[in-house]
Amino acid sequence: MSRSVLAILGLALLLAGCASKPWLYDWGGYDANLYGYYKNPNSAEGFRVSMEQQFKELESRNKKPAPGLYAELGTLYLESGDRTTAATYYRKEHDAWPESRYLMDVMIKNLEKMTPGKKPQ
Amino acid sequence: MRTWTAFACLSLLAGLGGCVTPPPPYDFTDFNRVPPRSILIIPVANRSLDVDASNYVLSTLTVPLAELGYYVFPVNTVKIVLEQEGLYEPEQVRKLEPARLASMFGADAVLFITINRWDAQYVVISTTVTVEMDYLMTGRDGGVIWKTTKRMQYSPQQQQNQGLIGMLVNAAMARAAPNYMPLARQANNQVFVIDTTRLPPGPYAGPKP
Repeated sequence: MSRSVLAILGLALLLAGCASKPWLYDWGGYDANLYGYYKNPNSAEGFRVSMEQQFKELESRNKKPAPGLYAELGTLYLESGDRTTAATYYRKEHDAWPESRYLMDVMIKNLEKMTPGKKPQ
Repeated sequence: MRTWTAFACLSLLAGLGGCVTPPPPYDFTDFNRVPPRSILIIPVANRSLDVDASNYVLSTLTVPLAELGYYVFPVNTVKIVLEQEGLYEPEQVRKLEPARLASMFGADAVLFITINRWDAQYVVISTTVTVEMDYLMTGRDGGVIWKTTKRMQYSPQQQQNQGLIGMLVNAAMARAAPNYMPLARQANNQVFVIDTTRLPPGPYAGPKP
């Protein structure tokens, strides 16, 4: 018995030694949800809701979602026909990540062209 | 108990081996000349017979690269933008100049993945599941800055005392529903984080330990 305990302890220590750095981001199951969405496109709404809840929770702690995630939520809205909300999330991505600005500017401008006279918020 | 101890010791040795082995260096000269802050992942080209593999692999790439500290362009958004441009098939996207793709999206680097193998081979009483992918990254000017290939294989564990029938059932199950995703994730992790090809930390990686 004590030998297995020792073995477990040794293993744990080793794993701790080898263990990678802590996560940079809280992904909230993004990869699994995206996989699920490709497997079954009907899961889009569940994917949307899950991201939205996660972002609310992160924002309440003054943390930002991982790179690209605001834009992914925007695109899920775009696909469902809600251009206004899509543009809102593209703008959030734009503000959160400077590397995204070029693309997000183009996407937001295109959305504004598609909905004349009704500028997204 | 004895088996467990042996297993723990083996893992310990394997782990130590993984921690200690000095890797022969990979030439990062071209990569470091860029060096990218942002990576654009292009929809995955697929040479396997499994039509779904392309999308499935696409879902596994963002997390490891972003966790290395890079800005990773939203893969599904990129896919939809390309589709709006009439580019529905990854093979069509491949026909564009990498430099043009980089400027279209404002990316520092473009990552192209090709699935070579995504299959399960059934040989008498065991199934071997294989995933093999090519990885190729170009800089803004379209020049190659990083590339590698990875093959991962898996044979479902054969338990002792399972008997011939048990083994046959095991193999048949692996063939009916082979689980490729852990292999795809492992392949990514190997090339991005563990092998000599592992990428240097990106701009959001935080302070060096």
